[in-house]
Amino acid sequence: MSFALDGVGLTHANGFTALDSISLRAKKGECIALIGPSGAGKTSLLSVLGTALAATTGQARVLDAGLAEMAGSSLKTLRSRIGTVHQAPPIPARQRVVTAVLAGKLGQWPAWKSLASLLYPLDVAGARAALARVDLADKLFARCDQLSGGQLQRVGIARVLYQQPDLLLADEPVSALDPALALATVRLLVAEAGRSGATLVASLHAVDLALSCFPRIVGIKAGRIAFDLPAKEVSDSLLHELYASEGQALPTLASEPHFAAQPAANDPATRAACC
Amino acid sequence: MLLTAEARDPAARGRLTGTLLAFAILWPLLQTAEVRPAALFEAGNLKVIGNFLGGFLPPETGREFLGYLAQATLETLAIATAGMALAILLAVPLGYLASAAGREQATLNPLTRSLLTILRGIPELVWALLFVRVFGLGPAAGVLALGLTYGGMLAKVYAEILESVDATPANALRRSGARRPLAILYGLIPQASKELASYTVYRWECAIRASVVMGFVGAGGLGQLMDQAMKMLNGGEAASILLTFMALVFAADGLSGWLRRAIETPPASRRSPFGWRSAGVLTIVLTAIVASFRLLEIGFGALFSGEALTSIGEFVAGFFPPDVSPEWLSKVAKGIWETLAISVIGTLLAAVTGLLLALPKWRLPFSLLLNTLRSVPELVWATITALAVGLGPFAGVLALALHTTGVLGRLYAEALDNAPPAPGQSLRLSGAPGGLAFLYGTLPGAAPQLVAYTLYRWEMNIRMAAILGFVGAGGLGQLLYFELSLFHHAQASTVIIAMLVLSITVDQASAWLRQRMR
Repeated sequence: MSFALDGVGLTHANGFTALDSISLRAKKGECIALIGPSGAGKTSLLSVLGTALAATTGQARVLDAGLAEMAGSSLKTLRSRIGTVHQAPPIPARQRVVTAVLAGKLGQWPAWKSLASLLYPLDVAGARAALARVDLADKLFARCDQLSGGQLQRVGIARVLYQQPDLLLADEPVSALDPALALATVRLLVAEAGRSGATLVASLHAVDLALSCFPRIVGIKAGRIAFDLPAKEVSDSLLHELYASEGQALPTLASEPHFAAQPAANDPATRAACC
Repeated sequence: MLLTAEARDPAARGRLTGTLLAFAILWPLLQTAEVRPAALFEAGNLKVIGNFLGGFLPPETGREFLGYLAQATLETLAIATAGMALAILLAVPLGYLASAAGREQATLNPLTRSLLTILRGIPELVWALLFVRVFGLGPAAGVLALGLTYGGMLAKVYAEILESVDATPANALRRSGARRPLAILYGLIPQASKELASYTVYRWECAIRASVVMGFVGAGGLGQLMDQAMKMLNGGEAASILLTFMALVFAADGLSGWLRRAIETPPASRRSPFGWRSAGVLTIVLTAIVASFRLLEIGFGALFSGEALTSIGEFVAGFFPPDVSPEWLSKVAKGIWETLAISVIGTLLAAVTGLLLALPKWRLPFSLLLNTLRSVPELVWATITALAVGLGPFAGVLALALHTTGVLGRLYAEALDNAPPAPGQSLRLSGAPGGLAFLYGTLPGAAPQLVAYTLYRWEMNIRMAAILGFVGAGGLGQLLYFELSLFHHAQASTVIIAMLVLSITVDQASAWLRQRMR
């Protein structure tokens, strides 16, 4: 058993109910796509699985550990076995690619090794191998602000591959990429999960991408599970019902919204030039 | 583990060279700055500073002393206000002349610009020291010194602000026949007014801090009282004065913040954009200026009478030609090196402690500590550190570090707060311990800003290091103070030129470093 959610609910401090009695199980090595309209609770579900948010009701077990009684070092150990690919790669712009990839093992390495790697990367070969799988081996020593958006997203994936987690979560991993790259990236994630025997749960905006790449599809709507079926059994009417609030057309790769983060400007001169 | 070519980090050699180079430069600087932490714990020093600090409690509250204190506080406020008024009076025409804004043909205005460089390149305390020689002890010297330096700074910044806004409206007006002043008033001022006003308010806040220390060279205000208290090692009086300093600085901080927020509010829609609040502020400002000049009893007529002008002329003539004999130059060069050492080591020390104090999550006690450190001027710190470790450059280093820690710590905390949270958060979610998540995720995001703040601060500190010697904390200031008190004007002239050159060079170096680090 990779994870088991029993009647999990999540209510935010402001009273908004993001998840409502979700029950979902996955065996080790399964690949699951979460689909549903925006605001349905896909990210919340992934956050509960990734231990970022604690379920307010119900039972949640991840990698054979009950989340409720996790704290301190046992929580850190559990977290080091869960890898997350984010929508916007959470990597500092001025960090070198090799450091960004090595950061995947911070939860597993002894502190001296992590500290020394800031001065001299101690596992160049490992980082290179992880980057090679996303076709970026030549960027090993580049700085992250020299990469394109798609390349940076692949560095984020390389970090998770380097982490070698048992549970791989992906929150809209390709919504900032162009369609061709998006397809290739999702296929890569599925293939890598299969290669290492990790369980993969990915939320996707593009329905066609989910149906073509994942064997099991979970539809989420208004914080509840609408359906949980093998990809072959997901019918058009089910999908239209799922996306009823978003108009007639189903969201597909071609209609993916594209996001680009803008860094905020800040003028240090005026703040520091004090008497 | 054998490092094959495959696994070698190509940046390692550069990093190693950089580190070695930094140590090669820092080591002699450390030697020059006479950094001896052990001096803090020497029995003799501990006794002196212990007795002094022990005297802090209770602060002096005698009726007579409080009277002096109130008088000196008023005088300080008046020096700042009158000095600022003079500065604005100077800055508007000079800024207009220096700026390329509204000009159809760009000129470099070498004359005005070099005048501005000289005005602000020489620290206000040096101007004050000189004016005290000409006009005698008293607040007049302080007002003139503030007016000149701040006039130079304001003019430069005014000129730059006008150049930085969109030039098309002014150009269009000029092409339709408007003269340059009107083109600026109608085309550029509306875009730049907020920034101009906000910078002026901010400078006024700085002027209060500056006028607090004017007294150390005999130019009136709280500093004079502090100087006396320190010379008599009267801890109780020093404590009262320090508390007043802090109250004054905090009040100025708050008032300046309120004024800047008030500038942000959009004008009401009526015929005149100025309402009762603007009228009120204007009346208060004008009254304050008039009251300040009356309180200080500066007779500008007497200052610039024929007799006074002759003595000024003689005084100025004494500075030319500067002494350029090899022996003197080598002594000045030593002073420059010592000043550089004090500024670099002091800034580095402050950067490290500032970062450590910026880290803790529970901010309240730390921001209180940082604000306290920041509200005591460097020169005042120097009088205290000189007691703790004895006269010399190490006292200067400590004084600079204490004040700068307060400034940088606050800025660092702000920068770390504004750094993107996602990288650190995601590392914590993959099991990284908090400290490592900070080093790998948060710090790289904030680093460019931390470096920029530190470099800007270093620019300020080199000017400060040049005058810390006035209270015996080494560097060029000590040389200048000594020579001026012996009426060796030709030698003093060389030192002042050296200060000017040093501050210009450091500005350039820091701009270059910032460019490189981008």
